[in-house]
Amino acid sequence: MLHIGNAPIPTCGGLTRRSFLQVGAAGLAGLNLPDFLAMKAAGAVDESKAEVKNCIMLFLVGSPGHLDTWDLKPNAPADIRGPFKPIKTKAPGLDICEHLPLMAKLADKYSLIRSLFHTGSAVHGAGHQWMMTGHGFNNGDPHPHAGSVIARVFGQKSALPPSIILPGKVGAVGDNLGERAQTAAYLGTAYNPFFLGADPAKSDFKIANLSPQAGQTEFRINARRKLLAELDAIQQQVENASTVAHDTAYQRAFSLITAPETKKAFDLSEEKDSVRDRYGRNTFGASCLLSRRLIERGVRFVTINHFDTVFSIACWDMHADGGSLNNTVQDYERHLLPQFDQAYSALLTDLDERGLLKETVVATLSEMGRTPRINGKGGRDHYPPCWTNFLAGGNIKGGQVIGASDKNGAVPHEYPIDPPRVLATIYQGMGVDLDQVMMPGPGSRPIRLIDAEPIPELF
Amino acid sequence: MDQVFEGTPKADIRLEGRKVIRGEVSNDWASRLQWKISHNGKVVGTAPARADLDYEHPGTEAGTYEIVLELWKYEGFKVKDHGKFVEISNKVNYTV
Repeated sequence: MLHIGNAPIPTCGGLTRRSFLQVGAAGLAGLNLPDFLAMKAAGAVDESKAEVKNCIMLFLVGSPGHLDTWDLKPNAPADIRGPFKPIKTKAPGLDICEHLPLMAKLADKYSLIRSLFHTGSAVHGAGHQWMMTGHGFNNGDPHPHAGSVIARVFGQKSALPPSIILPGKVGAVGDNLGERAQTAAYLGTAYNPFFLGADPAKSDFKIANLSPQAGQTEFRINARRKLLAELDAIQQQVENASTVAHDTAYQRAFSLITAPETKKAFDLSEEKDSVRDRYGRNTFGASCLLSRRLIERGVRFVTINHFDTVFSIACWDMHADGGSLNNTVQDYERHLLPQFDQAYSALLTDLDERGLLKETVVATLSEMGRTPRINGKGGRDHYPPCWTNFLAGGNIKGGQVIGASDKNGAVPHEYPIDPPRVLATIYQGMGVDLDQVMMPGPGSRPIRLIDAEPIPELF
Repeated sequence: MDQVFEGTPKADIRLEGRKVIRGEVSNDWASRLQWKISHNGKVVGTAPARADLDYEHPGTEAGTYEIVLELWKYEGFKVKDHGKFVEISNKVNYTV
């Protein structure tokens, strides 16, 4: 059996229509025998045997200050260390901020990477590119979001899309570089993430992308489906790779609208009140709870964007500028850190109690760090040379600190780690053999999922 | 997408000697939770309440101590300080 991406291609029992298309497309792209051999293992992740299948990516849009959260420097000067104090955790030597007490009790389950850096611009979008795709492409050709990569490798296993982004797409952040980091890029539109586009914390929560538009009755939906089937028959005579992408996208859309399990998956009212309280009755907490429900029902990769903008909302982008970016350490203490602390702890505990943590990587990422020195208004500004993110679940070993920043948190002092290595670690943490599994790159030529090595200490 | 906080948080607290014990918070917004301590009617301090269910105030000065649970309420970006603390429990008191 030959595999390209997630589609099994019978080689002795006859070709399926889709396999014919994929091999045909590859052939058109000029692949030779060695290329095919290189792609042989692509998509060879056998779901029935895979121990780790899922990823939940918590993306802290705006970027928390590493010195105020997961890399405190109590011995640094006051204008660097800030007002918060470190507390001990369950893992010896892994101290974190005093306002993350619930996380502290679970420190054996996650590992911090304290020596992250990227060399791109100090703007949000550049960091989104690096941390969502593992590439910095600026205005050049985009690379796919990690969720799209996983969707391509693992495939769809229910009526739900394999990659979902909650609650919505990251929008206004002052630049547009991150816009194309949230697509499937050259993998094709069939692997684009599905954006929820609604707030699961609302009592009247409805899924914008699932609800038929006004006037679109079930009859009309079925009529369109019938028309599509007829068009499909015609298309079979003139098929090419883009037809496949459209076909998949339409099938996905119909599945979403019509499948009963879709509505059930998104129905948080099925959860006990105590569970909803445990996650927190807010947008982020409800999104984390929803991510667990989606993973349970076959979604492979859930991204939760903690905030979809940095403007005029209390968020991690702590400039304290007195204007639309007026986030301060008080917001961290009263609002942001407790909210994250509670939702993250609930998510790890809940996944663990249900036996899902061992098959789900939970990656907490951000686009950069914040300046070591506190600015004139009491905030911290953008800072990509050094920051901290962390990983848990799947094959990843918890309770560790990987790398270290210098005494002021200004640069990686030990073991600098760039974003592609984090993505490589996530993929390997999901059980993907990066030396074997490939995907079709630009022009459908086979490429590695990411050109970087995982962090070996985490396995 | 603005932040949504649904419901009205509530918790019950009780005393065991001078130790105050809280139940779980219902409709929990998951913001900062703290004990507010007053002595003879004047607020003398706050203490974090999220990590543990109980707390004992170290004050030994004679008089009446009153304790209540507070939760941070985010009210919006344009609001001063972006919100305020609100009381979410019954009050308990003891005398030294």
